[in-house]
This record gives sequence, structure tokens and C-alpha cells, in this order.
Amino acid sequence: MQRHKKLVLGGVAAAVMAVTHAVSAGGVLRLDEVAVGELDPGKASDYADSILMFNVYDTLVLPEQGGPGLVPHLAKSWEADGNSYTFTLRDDVQFQSGNPLTADDVVFSLERMQNLGQGLSYLFAGVESAEAVDGSTVRFNLSTPYAPFVASLLRLPIVDKALVMANLGEGEGEMGDWGQAFLSQNAAGTGAYTVSSHNPQEETVMAKHDGYFLDIADAAPDTVRLRYGLEPATVRTLIAQGEHDISSQWLPPEVLKALAGDGAQLLTEGGTGAFYVKMNTTKPPLDDANCRLALSHAFDYDAAVKMIAVTDDISQGSAASGAVPVGMLGANSADNILKQDMDAAKAALEQCQYNPADHELELSWIAEVPIEERFALLMQANFTALGFNASIKKLPWALFAEQVSKPENTPHISQLFVNAVTGDPDTLLYGMYHSGSAGTWQSPEYLNDGEVDSLLDQGRTAADPAARASAYSALNERLMAIAPTIYGYDRQSVFAASTRVKAPALSDPAQAFGLDGMGFSFRLMEVAE
Amino acid sequence: MKRIIAILLLNPMSLLGVVLVSAVICGAVFADWIAPFPEHRGAVVDFSNFNQPPNWPYIMGTDLVGRDIFSRILYAYRISLLLGVVVLVIAVPIGVISGLAAGYLKGWPSFVIMRITDVFLSIPPLVLAMSMMGLLEPTLINGMLAVTAMWWPWYTRLVYNVTRAEKQEGYVLAAETLGASTPHILFREILPNCLPPILTKMTLDFGFVILIASSLSFLGLGVQPPTPDLGSMVADGAKYLPDSWWLTVFPGLAILVAVFGFNLIGDALRDILGAES
Repeated sequence: MQRHKKLVLGGVAAAVMAVTHAVSAGGVLRLDEVAVGELDPGKASDYADSILMFNVYDTLVLPEQGGPGLVPHLAKSWEADGNSYTFTLRDDVQFQSGNPLTADDVVFSLERMQNLGQGLSYLFAGVESAEAVDGSTVRFNLSTPYAPFVASLLRLPIVDKALVMANLGEGEGEMGDWGQAFLSQNAAGTGAYTVSSHNPQEETVMAKHDGYFLDIADAAPDTVRLRYGLEPATVRTLIAQGEHDISSQWLPPEVLKALAGDGAQLLTEGGTGAFYVKMNTTKPPLDDANCRLALSHAFDYDAAVKMIAVTDDISQGSAASGAVPVGMLGANSADNILKQDMDAAKAALEQCQYNPADHELELSWIAEVPIEERFALLMQANFTALGFNASIKKLPWALFAEQVSKPENTPHISQLFVNAVTGDPDTLLYGMYHSGSAGTWQSPEYLNDGEVDSLLDQGRTAADPAARASAYSALNERLMAIAPTIYGYDRQSVFAASTRVKAPALSDPAQAFGLDGMGFSFRLMEVAE
Repeated sequence: MKRIIAILLLNPMSLLGVVLVSAVICGAVFADWIAPFPEHRGAVVDFSNFNQPPNWPYIMGTDLVGRDIFSRILYAYRISLLLGVVVLVIAVPIGVISGLAAGYLKGWPSFVIMRITDVFLSIPPLVLAMSMMGLLEPTLINGMLAVTAMWWPWYTRLVYNVTRAEKQEGYVLAAETLGASTPHILFREILPNCLPPILTKMTLDFGFVILIASSLSFLGLGVQPPTPDLGSMVADGAKYLPDSWWLTVFPGLAILVAVFGFNLIGDALRDILGAES
């Protein structure tokens, strides 16, 4: 009898817990991405990092929703005068710590980014100095003209200087580690979400920031759980059971299709990037442009586009027309799509100094992105038809990112999805192809081509949009001629989401941002109780 | 021998084992004739027929690049059987010779051999194989080496124990008294009496070697694509469960059939040979 009583009491306790749990579960948004989630905004570069950055930190400007252009955000207004840009800040912004936002914070954020030299800091290489004119005015001085400068500020998250200075770790010089140890675990932003807990391999939990300077809808999620490294089959099951809200974009099309068939909605974001098959131009036989051209002619573009279709209307991409995605400055028109051409491939191969049978091409694929295995098999079939030997190698993302830092460790073939990090072609192409930016995950080509470098420089320094467009067209042509990359397809990210989520920036083109990752601004989402 | 075969075929469970194993061996050996798409074992893609559920002519469906799963299973059996044979052909002689020596000789040779096997046995087998594969390139040959390295100590142990018991027997003492050489005693007198347990263990192990090799390739440490392999077929398909179930279920069943078949025969052999000795 005693035992029965205990059981009954236990049952009641469990029921009470279940009820309270159900109440507090309202407003939780659960999503996933590929590990590692880098919380330090100065190092953010990939998609998971960007989601964290855009929610925990703010930037001076934001992309216009539903069209090109930029709108003020932390800045009220700005003006350009030659190579200097002056921004006036809002005066009603507080950091999550309670400190008010000042021009000093902006200067500090830029200097921190430049001194760390990681992530997307190359965007600010041409900024000579930043100065606080007064408490709410900041001036950037550029050493050379840089046309997309204001757009690049989309990637300058503003950090709470006072909080970071109070938490400097050990390092050389008076700035120590520039707060790296602190910022890799803690938030110091003005963003709409604060960080409750963070484990870069497992999960980041975020909560709504009550003192945010803009109004956040009540229906926006109170808590966000961003998990890392879930298996596609796990996500598939969790969403079907109502235990998960938004999948990552890395699910294979079959899984997305199955989820859509079960009633999940498909969210999309795109237009600023592509799927790239990148060839290491320092390793034989790919140091000969003719061999690279042969491979790019042999690639079966039709099969690639067929493979990524999710439903009749939604696909993870569309056929590529060249080195610049359709719609971007310098792009070819959408009807010039690339096609497999085995005759052209064989002709190019005859010009190549190497005998294909003497070399084994290492085709790598990123372990977290299952569809890349299929592209690897497709290429293996395409390239062996030309007489190459090809082996397939699966690399986890973290290992890949480490290997590409040295040309000799970089595989012959790397498969990557790259986006214009600010929407401007400069931020897509400069990081991939300028000889000065070689050796990041975006640039495993290690391309070193004088003409490409000079066209990239023209593109970023020309003030006149027409001159920029012609520089990027010429660059497009040059890249197609020396083929450092196989341009697989222009990409659209597709996410499966439960119907309890509303994400207008990812479902309504009139509210889309035109900047990858910005659609995941949680403050603009709604979650049903 | 005839009697053993007769018993194997009369017992329904061992008969089932014989049928399964024969089917697996026939499928592997005659894959070139049985497989409807023999070219699908190589670098072939066919995106007009990818991810098809079982239908005609793809009786087990197609994988995500359009290759026939049935054909690939038959060729994967070739790899599995080859692996089983090679591993046992290397591991059994090493284990038997070291076990005989350790069991018969006294003093430090016995001590050294048995402590070395203890070291190997103290490391969990999959961990040992994984660390070897991590150091070496993941290829079929290295896979065989890794599995062999974890397998021979079991035979040493087995033969050592049998030898220890046998060397007290009258026939060994008689041979010693007559002045027979040590090799003669080891290989002519003791070894024949160790054969029944060795044979039984080999049959049982054949299935386990296939299973371990599949586990290794499930973890991405085995045969490299496009060569078909049961473990990696299961691993690749697992991402697409439960919708594209045929990607995992058929290769998984194929592993089950092979391991189960060899186990049934091994069990029956143990009963028969155990009763004899």
C-alpha cells in the first residue's frame, strides 16, 4: 500500500511538471545548424555564426527588406565625403549589459575586428581609421575607395567596449586577447536576443532581450534553442513529432520533400550565392588551367540541378550561367546556362600538359552535407570518363576548415556553398579569388592570377555602378576562361519548418533581406503557443 | 566427414545455415551473371532512376545516385567474404602456432606470448581496429590488417588452453618418452586434437569478421567509394530513414543473412565436434 501511495504521488508530481512544462514551452523556437557555433562576432563567417551574430549583435545598417539597398539601424543616418563616411548613431540604444551605445563602441568594434584578422575582417582591410567625432558620431576613413563600404558594415557587429575591456584575457600588448576568451562564451551586444548558455558543439540557448531598442512582437520566440550537428534522420523525426521547428538548410532534398509531404512548410532564402566545386590550383594536374577546363566541361550540370529539386516548385537551386550568380552585378543572363560538353572537355584535356591517368584526383565532400556525397559520385563518374582516377574523401567541416589553411593539405576538389556576405559581388568574389585571401574555407583554389586580382580591385574601387558592372563582367569571363572552380548551380537555401512558426523574411519575397542568414532574425519570427 | 555433413543437413537450423551461406557464396562468386546491373559496382551514376523504391528491374530499389542496390549487395558480399577469408587465413596460423608454443613450452616463451595476447585482448577490438585505421589510410588492405590484428589473440588463447590440457595426456607423454622432436609433438600429436574447436571457432568467426568489417565501414573506415560495401551502404542510407528505407534495410538484411548463416553452421559444428571429442 505504501508503495502504491508513492507511485500515485510520483504520478501527480509528474503530471504537475508536465503541465507547468507545457505552459513555459510556449514561445520556444528550436532549430539546428552545423557545428561549430562561433559566438565571437569578430570571427563569424559561416551560416551558424551569422545566425548568432545577427541576433545577439546589431550593425549600423540593415538590408532593405524586399529589395536592394540599405536602411539605417544602429545608425540614424550617414553621409559619404570622398573616402570618409560619417555615421550618426541612435541615442536610445542600450547594450544587453545596460551600457549605452556610443561612438567609442563602434571604433572599438572595428579595431577589434581588424586586430583579430579573422572571420570576415578582410572586408575592413581598406579602412584606415575610425574616430569618434562625438558621443554619437563616428567617422570611418578609407585608405582607398571601396564602393561597397556601407554594405560591408552589415558585417561589423557592434561590441560593448566597456564590458569587453573589463573581461580582457591574457595576451600580448595592452589589449590582451581582445576579449576573445570572454566573447567566445558570452554576449556583449545590443541584439534582440541574449545568450543564456552556449556550447559551440551542442547548443546555444538565447532569450529575448527586454530592453531592445526596437519593438519586438509578443509572438516572437521568448527562448531560442539552436542545436548543432543533428543527423538528418533525427531532424526528420523530431519535426514530424513536433519536437523541432526549423531544420538547417543542409538536409538532403529527399528529406525536405518527405517533411513537406508530412505537412511541414518549406522556407527559402537565396539569390546571393552558389554551389562551387573548387579546384586546388597549386596541385598537379589542376595547376594547368586546361585540365581544370576539361573537368568543368565534363561536369554534368543537368544532373546536379535535377538532384536538388525538392518539389515541383521549390528547388535548392537553379542552373548557373557563369562565375557570378544570376541577378548579381556582372552576371550573365539566366538563359546562358552551363552544360556538360564532353567534346570540349576532351579538346581541353589534349592541351593539358598532364596525362590524366598519372594522377589521382581527391574529391572531398563535407560530412555534414550529405548531398555532397552524391556530387562526389557524380564527379567520379564524369571525371573517370575523361580518364582521370578519382577517389572520394569524406571530411567533417571542422577538419576541412583546418586542412585548407595549407595548399598541400587542401584536397584537389572541395565542394562549398558560398554566399555574398553582404549581398555585393565584392564580398562573394574577393574572398574566393583574390590572391591575398587564399587559404580560407572560401578559397581552397589558392588562385593567384594577376588579371583576376586587378579586376577584383577595379570592382571594389570604381565609384560608378556601370564601371563596376563592366569590371565584374570581365572578371566573370576571365574566371570562366581559367576555370578555378566548377560553377555547379546558383543556390537557394531551403528549410523545413513546422507550421507553428511564421517567418515572413523566409517566406514572403517582399520581406526577404537579400542577405544570407539575416532571415533568421528571431525578433521577426512568430511562434504559436 | 560424411557424417558431419549428413548431420548438418538433417538438423533444420543448421540446414538453414547451410542454405544461407551457400546463397551468399553463390551470389558473391557468380555476381557477374546474377547481378542485373554489374556495372553499378563502379563509378556509375544514373540520375534518371535515383532513389527508386523496390520495383522491376530494381528488386531492392536504387540508391541516391541511381545504382541498383541488389547488384551492389552481391558485389559487397565479394568484399566481405574476401575479407573474412584473408583475415582468418592470416590470423589463424599466427594464433595457432603461438598458442601451441605457449601451451607446450614452459618458462619465459610462454609468459611473453601470453602477455602479448593479453595486451591485445585488453583493448576493445573495435577501438583497436579504429585506431589502426585512423593511423593508416582507410583501404581494403589496411582494413584487413586492422581486423587481423584484433583477431589472432583469440586463437592463441584457445589453442593455448587446449594444448595445456593435451600435453598431460598419455599419447604426448609417450611421444616424448620415445624421443620425438618438439615440432613433431606440436604439429603431429597435439595440433590434430585442437582442430575441432579451431574449426568451430573459424566458422563462427567468419560471420563476426563480416560484422566487424561492416562496423568499420559504417564508421567510414573501410572500403572507399564507389566500391560497394554493406556497412557503408547502411551508413549512407541511415540519413534518409524512414522514407527511403530500402537504402538501409536491404544491406542491413544482407549483413544479417551472412552473419546468421555462419553462426548457425558454427553452432551445429560445435555440437557435433564437441560431442565427438
